Amino acid sequence: MSIAGFEVEVDRGGGLETEEMTLNMGPQHPSTHGVLRFVVKADGEVMRRAIPDVGYLHRSIEKISEKVGWHGFMPYTDRVDYVAAMFCNQGWGMVTEKLADIEVPKRGEYCRVIAAELNRISSHLLSIGTMILDIGAITPFFHAFREREKINDLLEELCGARLTYNYMRIGGVAWDLPPGYEESVLAFLSQLEPMLDEFNTLVSDNTLFRGRCAKVATISAEQAISYNLVGPNLRASGVRYDVRRDEPYSVYPELEFDVPIGLGMAGEVGDSFDRYWVRFVEIKESMKILRQCFRQIPAGPVVAKVPRKLKPQEGDAQIRIESARGDMSWYAVSDGSEFPYRCKVRTGSFAAMSIIEELSPGLMLADLVTVIASLDIVAPEVDR
Amino acid sequence: MATVLNQYVRNVFDTAAAVFEGMAVTCSHFVRTPSTIQYPDRTDVRVQDTLPYRYRGILEVDLEICTGCLACERACPIDCIVIDAKKDKATKQMMLNRFDIDIAKCMYCGLCSEPCPTGSIHHTPEFEGADYSLESMLRRFVKEPVAAYKPKKVEDDPKIAPILERGMKYLDEFAAAGDEIEAEAEA
Ligand code: SF4
Ligand code: SF4
Repeated sequence: MSIAGFEVEVDRGGGLETEEMTLNMGPQHPSTHGVLRFVVKADGEVMRRAIPDVGYLHRSIEKISEKVGWHGFMPYTDRVDYVAAMFCNQGWGMVTEKLADIEVPKRGEYCRVIAAELNRISSHLLSIGTMILDIGAITPFFHAFREREKINDLLEELCGARLTYNYMRIGGVAWDLPPGYEESVLAFLSQLEPMLDEFNTLVSDNTLFRGRCAKVATISAEQAISYNLVGPNLRASGVRYDVRRDEPYSVYPELEFDVPIGLGMAGEVGDSFDRYWVRFVEIKESMKILRQCFRQIPAGPVVAKVPRKLKPQEGDAQIRIESARGDMSWYAVSDGSEFPYRCKVRTGSFAAMSIIEELSPGLMLADLVTVIASLDIVAPEVDR
Repeated sequence: MATVLNQYVRNVFDTAAAVFEGMAVTCSHFVRTPSTIQYPDRTDVRVQDTLPYRYRGILEVDLEICTGCLACERACPIDCIVIDAKKDKATKQMMLNRFDIDIAKCMYCGLCSEPCPTGSIHHTPEFEGADYSLESMLRRFVKEPVAAYKPKKVEDDPKIAPILERGMKYLDEFAAAGDEIEAEAEA
């Protein structure tokens, strides 16, 4: 079958004549969160197959690393996943530190975690907000984005940019927390709590929303593991796995938090509602982590002394972090020069993308949008 | 039959209740303070003035305090800064002949302002950079060759002192910690 071709198969087996249609969804479809394309084979409203076609947002970010040097690549990592750029910053920082044997000061690690958890909240707010928007409710989207806007303001105060943060450096973070930051973050957190309750009334407890998401595109635990799903998508299927807890990095061992899993509250474990709900609960966990961070953060420097012309010793290194979209691994090879020899990023969205073809048979066409949104696929992260 | 009907009625009732609950939340926002602002012309102060100190907007260079050290040019990952600094044979002074920043290429990452020893190159809170042509996005800071700044122990020139003070304040916020060893290595 040619992917781009539009073939029409006519079923002439008596009774009502139906045709299988090949439809093109995307690459500029508003609900694909970026530039994604699906070739959908549908019989009426029911999908036979949806084949994802990736590559529309490929920007050769990994190749760029070979040209701009260890320090210079940091702003480019912001573009790997522009919804949760802090994690990419942290990943690149950590892999280089592992290669060059650099130890990050304690305060620097805490600053990283604070920035990353703020970013996780904003990314999850965007994810659940747009999921509801794609399903057809517009109001909750603005509620989520209003709160996300406040996080953007906080991060802007911290690092000077709203989306492409470039906050972390190899060996720590670029700037210490600005004066009065603790108060503003804690004030934000305490006003976010009632807002989340309101969001619950508006969305999570809403019969229509539950009915729309329940038992749609259920992923069983075995399926999730065999398709290599990570992060909230994996946890929604009932697998309690979180890199922060199971392979701790940074200062996460010193912090206490739960790893929520899907409970099948609306229907079955691993359906679209569970994926929504896990993200919602993770926002609360991140708030818990943030509060602990501000209680425990020690004084001291925020960045280690790293030469401007960094030349890590020859060899390779790999690290894993828990990004907002799950286990993100960074691999870098150094040939002892000022430029990385190779860099490779493995992201959660790519795995989530691959399961769509498996999930699609038998779903309604409109459910495809729910599936994409509930898997929280961010197109630039798929292609890089 | 009765159970089906029962279920049907209950569904209708549930749905109506859900809509009512949602509308109650939505309607309560009529009496709360709005969180939108009317950008750009109906804000009390210019948006630029409300931005935090660390905001990374369009770059600006204070040539009066630029030493011509080329640290910023080297730090930029995409080479959007071009500096031509030469020693004048006759006067033995470092002359800046060219200092261009291509705003169209710049991604406002802030890597250039970190190693600057005097805070000469710095981000402003300006962000409205749209223009009609690419050429006008190339900011040329040197109009005619000027002598580069020579750092003194105490700045006594009343014209330069306030600029340097601004630069130093900027450095306090932005200088990268790695620079100290770099300076030691060069000395
Ligand atoms: S902000 Fe970044 S991209 Fe722009 S000139 Fe400075 S180093 Fe280059
Ligand atoms: S702007 Fe700063 S870093 Fe760039 S050449 Fe001048 S003094 Fe050096």
